[in-house]
Amino acid sequence: MPPIIRTTELRKVFRSLKRGSGVRGTLKTLFSREYEEKVAVGGVTMSLDAGELVGYIGPNGAGKSTTIKMLTGILVPTSGSIGVAGLTPHAQRSENARNIGVVFGQRSQLYWDLPLRESFELLRAIYDVPRARYNENMKHFAEILEIDAFLGTPVRQLSLGQRMRGDFAAAMLHDPKIIYLDEPTIGLDALAKEAIRTFVERINRERGTTVILTTHDLVDVERLSKRIVLIDEGRIIFDGPLERIREEYGTHRTLVVKLVDGEPDPYAERAELESRIGNVARLKFDRNAISADALIRQVTERSNVTDLSLEEPDLEAIIRRIYTEGYADPASAAT
Amino acid sequence: MIAVRHRPLARRLTPYLAFARTAFVRESTYRIDVFTSVASLVVRVYLLRTVWFALYAQNAAPSGIPLHAIVTYTTVALLMSLVLEVDGTRLIRDKMRDGTIATDLMKPISLPVYFFSEGFGQTCFHALTIVPALILALFIVHVDLPAPSVLAAFALSFVLGYCVNFLLNFIMNSVAFWTLETFAIQLIVRWISDLLGGQIVPLVFFPAGPLQQFVLALPFAAIYSTPLLIYVGTIPPAHYAQAMALQVLWLVVFGAFGALIWRAGEKRIVVQGG
Repeated sequence: MPPIIRTTELRKVFRSLKRGSGVRGTLKTLFSREYEEKVAVGGVTMSLDAGELVGYIGPNGAGKSTTIKMLTGILVPTSGSIGVAGLTPHAQRSENARNIGVVFGQRSQLYWDLPLRESFELLRAIYDVPRARYNENMKHFAEILEIDAFLGTPVRQLSLGQRMRGDFAAAMLHDPKIIYLDEPTIGLDALAKEAIRTFVERINRERGTTVILTTHDLVDVERLSKRIVLIDEGRIIFDGPLERIREEYGTHRTLVVKLVDGEPDPYAERAELESRIGNVARLKFDRNAISADALIRQVTERSNVTDLSLEEPDLEAIIRRIYTEGYADPASAAT
Repeated sequence: MIAVRHRPLARRLTPYLAFARTAFVRESTYRIDVFTSVASLVVRVYLLRTVWFALYAQNAAPSGIPLHAIVTYTTVALLMSLVLEVDGTRLIRDKMRDGTIATDLMKPISLPVYFFSEGFGQTCFHALTIVPALILALFIVHVDLPAPSVLAAFALSFVLGYCVNFLLNFIMNSVAFWTLETFAIQLIVRWISDLLGGQIVPLVFFPAGPLQQFVLALPFAAIYSTPLLIYVGTIPPAHYAQAMALQVLWLVVFGAFGALIWRAGEKRIVVQGG
């Protein structure tokens, strides 16, 4: 089966008028026609199979939203090609719109001064969803997202969590093949985040909806996606399974040691004392340099220990490391 | 190959009817607005009646229009303004400012038609206020009721004027694609159209000759003046076709210009990212 989303050497360059600063610069701007070019996306090639759930990760300004805008068809690429479910989004925007659903965490597509239910009715009319299918979907979403309680409330009176749940239902009402989620859990409390994650997980599993998730909250990614695409300065720096990135970059682990009162700092070869607060000492070590087993043996032989625990690195720390150090494939670096 | 979905027209119109219905419902939630607009209309009817009575007492029938006709003209003009002052295309400016135009572009709809149906829904609601406003006005002034054929011609001309007005608003609000702000241009156009549209003073009061001919041919006259002059009989049935042909001409010109400006604005968004 061909991939459902495919981009080849996708580029987007924004051109803006060069602006001077101060009175003189401003006056000069009025007359000059000098342009500045900014490469937002600089040659992105990727493909997604139907039913995949991919985390599209990158720092602010990396080009994530620009890529999503090109995939939805509201931005024309400077060069390169895109295919989404057999269509070219910017050339066939309206047809493409029927295949996709979009949720922006920062922006609602619900109608502000109408009760939530009215927004759904409008979307039903826009996408020409048959009544029976609409009712079925509404029932299903009401069950997962618990939106029943506030269907009659005007959107402007909803809490952020309620509004986001409404936005998710709105984006899925017409059974899109693909759904783009741009920072969907931003600003939500833990409970609402969890409801949203469960919803995304279920539509991906039960309906086979392809999901592209851009987020800063890496817990979203850990919970939901098997594959992540890392983008920085408009280029893909990693594309692969989440485990691989963890294996290659998550080599630093921490052994948390709880000591008997008055015990000196624990010591071990090839491990580094990260901190000591009261009786709790943290030892950082590289999995490739020493095994956890060997380290624990050393520590327990030398110190009086009451408790031990092992901490895996969190994804955020790993990704931060990749951004600062750059990603180099260890397999190719070894040769 | 591009697969074009052929849908029956009725089904393609469904979303726009839904937009209009929603706009109607939303408008009906602002009840205070309705009372104030009807109340201010009644006050204006009274004021203009006073002005015209005073003017006519000084100088009888300046342009061969009898007093009862001018009072009818003014009152009907005010009633028309209840629906003509509705501007559904303000949405363009609002959506450009808050960025929601992007989510709208991701929907399988025509945005200009969406704005029209939005305005139409609001219009339908405000049209309901015409009846109570007219009843109240009838306590103050006498309004002539022309023959049914004249009334029919007025209605047709009014619909044409409504569409010209929509397109004028559409073009002005589309300026927001470039400036995000449309207040200044709207204010200027408003001043000009108040003066040259014949809403307050019938354009036949302009000195007869080239100036009057010129003002009558402007698009502003197509909105208020033409239907009103048909109503009061200044435009005789023999000239209906000619008068409405001019309205249609402006409709076509504005339609073409509106399409151009929309395409350019849309292109700006999809190339520059808004």
